[in-house]
Amino acid sequence: MTSIGTGYDLANSIFSPDGRNFQVEYAVKAVENGGTSIGIRCKDGVVLAVEKIITSKLLKPGANKRIATVDRHLGVVYSGMVPDGRHFIERARDEARAWRDTFKTPISTADLASRMGGYLQAYTLYQSVRPFGITAIIGGFDSPAELPVDGEVGSGPACGAGGKVAGKTHGGPFLYMIEPSGLYWGYYGAATGKGRQAAKAELEKLDLGGPGGPALTLEQAVKEAARIIYLSHDESKDKEFELEMTWISGPDGPTKGLHQEVPKELREEAERLAKKAMEADEEDEGKEEKMEE
Amino acid sequence: MFRNNYDNDSVTFSPQGRIFQVEYAAEAVKQGSVVVGIASKTHAVLVAIKRNAEELSSYQKKLFPIDEHVGIAIAGLTSDARVLSNFMKQQCLGHRLTYGRNIPVRTLVEMIGSKAQINTQHYGKRPYGVGLLVAGVDDHGPHLFEFQPSGMTEEMIAFAIGARSQMARTYLEKNVAKFADCDREELIRHGLRALKESLVQDRELTVDNTSVGVAGSVKADDGSVKVEPFKVYDGQDVAAWIESVADDKEGGASAGEGEGEGMEVDS
Amino acid sequence: MDHRPQAWGRPRDDVYGPYDASYLQTSGPKTATQSPVVTGTSVIAIKFKDGVVMAADNLASYGSLARFTDVKRLRPFLSTSVVGFGGDVSDMQYLDRHLTELAIDEAYEHESSAAGTSGGAPGGQLNAANLHKYLSKLMYRRRNDFDPLWNQVLVAGFDGAGKPFLGSVDLRGTAFAAPSLASGFGAMLAQPIMRRHAATDADAAALSREQAVQIVRDCMKVLFYRDARSLDRYSLAVVTRDGVEISEDERLEQQSWAFAERVRGYGTQVV
Repeated sequence: MTSIGTGYDLANSIFSPDGRNFQVEYAVKAVENGGTSIGIRCKDGVVLAVEKIITSKLLKPGANKRIATVDRHLGVVYSGMVPDGRHFIERARDEARAWRDTFKTPISTADLASRMGGYLQAYTLYQSVRPFGITAIIGGFDSPAELPVDGEVGSGPACGAGGKVAGKTHGGPFLYMIEPSGLYWGYYGAATGKGRQAAKAELEKLDLGGPGGPALTLEQAVKEAARIIYLSHDESKDKEFELEMTWISGPDGPTKGLHQEVPKELREEAERLAKKAMEADEEDEGKEEKMEE
Repeated sequence: MFRNNYDNDSVTFSPQGRIFQVEYAAEAVKQGSVVVGIASKTHAVLVAIKRNAEELSSYQKKLFPIDEHVGIAIAGLTSDARVLSNFMKQQCLGHRLTYGRNIPVRTLVEMIGSKAQINTQHYGKRPYGVGLLVAGVDDHGPHLFEFQPSGMTEEMIAFAIGARSQMARTYLEKNVAKFADCDREELIRHGLRALKESLVQDRELTVDNTSVGVAGSVKADDGSVKVEPFKVYDGQDVAAWIESVADDKEGGASAGEGEGEGMEVDS
Repeated sequence: MDHRPQAWGRPRDDVYGPYDASYLQTSGPKTATQSPVVTGTSVIAIKFKDGVVMAADNLASYGSLARFTDVKRLRPFLSTSVVGFGGDVSDMQYLDRHLTELAIDEAYEHESSAAGTSGGAPGGQLNAANLHKYLSKLMYRRRNDFDPLWNQVLVAGFDGAGKPFLGSVDLRGTAFAAPSLASGFGAMLAQPIMRRHAATDADAAALSREQAVQIVRDCMKVLFYRDARSLDRYSLAVVTRDGVEISEDERLEQQSWAFAERVRGYGTQVV
């Protein structure tokens, strides 16, 4: 059944006779026009990447960041309407702060996804608002260490907290994707935006969800993320793009549990490999002569 | 004009995922006269064409100082610009009072971005009908930002908004590589040349219709930074600059090139 | 016997006579946080050539009881500044959490503001002078709400011009900066010693790091000798342009209490 002309698609929160909220579906269309975003959850961390289409030569290169930090250990990337994404991030930061105020400890990735899922869902409930025109990917590393309570002044009892199961680990890398409806799932690899189909196909080839957990390491994931963004970029339709990548490792890894931009050298190396892989692909297809080296 | 069912308010998506009310608000920006901004490593400048309603009336101001280190250029609904300008002034003063420093320019711009985004998501509100160029200096040097009614804010090397601004943007794109190393005067001249590109036939820059605004942060050899507060120049103060770009062919007069958005509201 | 909940836990009227209910008065102004409960004593700090040294002992007292002996009263901020807290410990915990959130917010702004600038230029972050200004506004506001944060706070780091900065804020919002500062008992006992070495900024700029640390250690010793609410285990922070170093397990070495014999004028002694 088509939505247009029925009148059921003219306002948010209205069900059509077959039980759909067309305004939410239209919001998804706004996402599908946006630059591709992906997230990869690997063995020792999470990588986020986004394809930023350069809409004007006059934009200052590298200045307009699209991946934002929430608290210290979480990163958010999104596809769709950028101002809506900014709003999403502000709300996520407010949630993270409120969580700290209440529980004196950083919010976990799952809890932030839950709070933000609830927030987006609320924007599908009323005619007085419109849904968010974004799909957001939240990546985070919940600390496996026993964190001090915020504001703690001393060491407390020396014998440590009880009730623990020996050998049981806590925390780790997590990845969630939230849609305009407020629906969210946890992912091994997530993709949204214009090039999501191609990106998903590539993500599925990676070793992310094996029985012993993902095998891919953080550095490999950075390179795969760059490759996937380059691969899903549609040169025929879009002009140039800028690749932005961030990562989060555990406390023993390169980012020490913090969400940070991937260092320039590593990003450039990943981009070089991505371009090389693209060229190799093209050559294979064209059955042309071998590339040098 | 065409009408459709999805353009009555800013809380309705079209089947393609567009919000027409926001797009229409962006059209209002093109009704305003053109403003140009450029940032180099040391300075950020704004230049603007002022309009007068009739021969004997005064000219509508286009450049406004916000704080010591920030100024804006506006195109579109002046009264909406005033709301944003007042808000920005308050934020600057508030920041100065609580932290004793200049607010970082990006922080300030993102604040109006967030404010504008709210207006695109709630029934009964309307998007701002104004676009801004925000120029300022902070600890990271000079900056130029563009603000759109959608709440989109982006840092630019140079930009132009307003009527026939496409011509100015074409000039800026051609010269974009030069701006970073321009000195103060060169930067202003580039701004004025871009402005001239956007003028309709047989109109020219005069001391009455031209405004120039400059902020700078020049790093001395000993590492200390000398901040030049944002200042707007009008009237005879801009005469020398206008003179310096008169009949000047540098940058190539791109006459006959692209009519831009084709909205010729200047007459 | 009176079994109403209001009487639970009170002396029985039939045994001890009627309870004086005036102690339970609920009228009158609320004074919940208008006096400190668990407290930390002096914080002292002195500027030197390349930065600032700060120290505070690790004790939190409950009245005259030495209640907690491993309390960290020097807190780093953004790894560029140090904040030292004297006064109420729970208010200090509140401030510490507040400053953690401030630091997180500041990191948000900094990651986007610094973007695109060549080489991730330093600067632009909230410095010690900015932090001092912020805390002074916070404390002054709280005192105007008749809900003061019962602390005296020292802020050490650098100002906008890159010079060493040392400032103080108290529970009334009184704020000032000086080459050396001390809160609480330290204001009487340590300040004169520090002033002997650094009366002016020019004097302080002549001190080396080692000299400044030694002055602070000497002051901590005097404070331990004379301040009955102090401890010989303390924390020492040094802020330089390279960052913040805090050592939280310092001990007073070479104590000599021989002088105590000759102290006159208190207790049961008669001159």
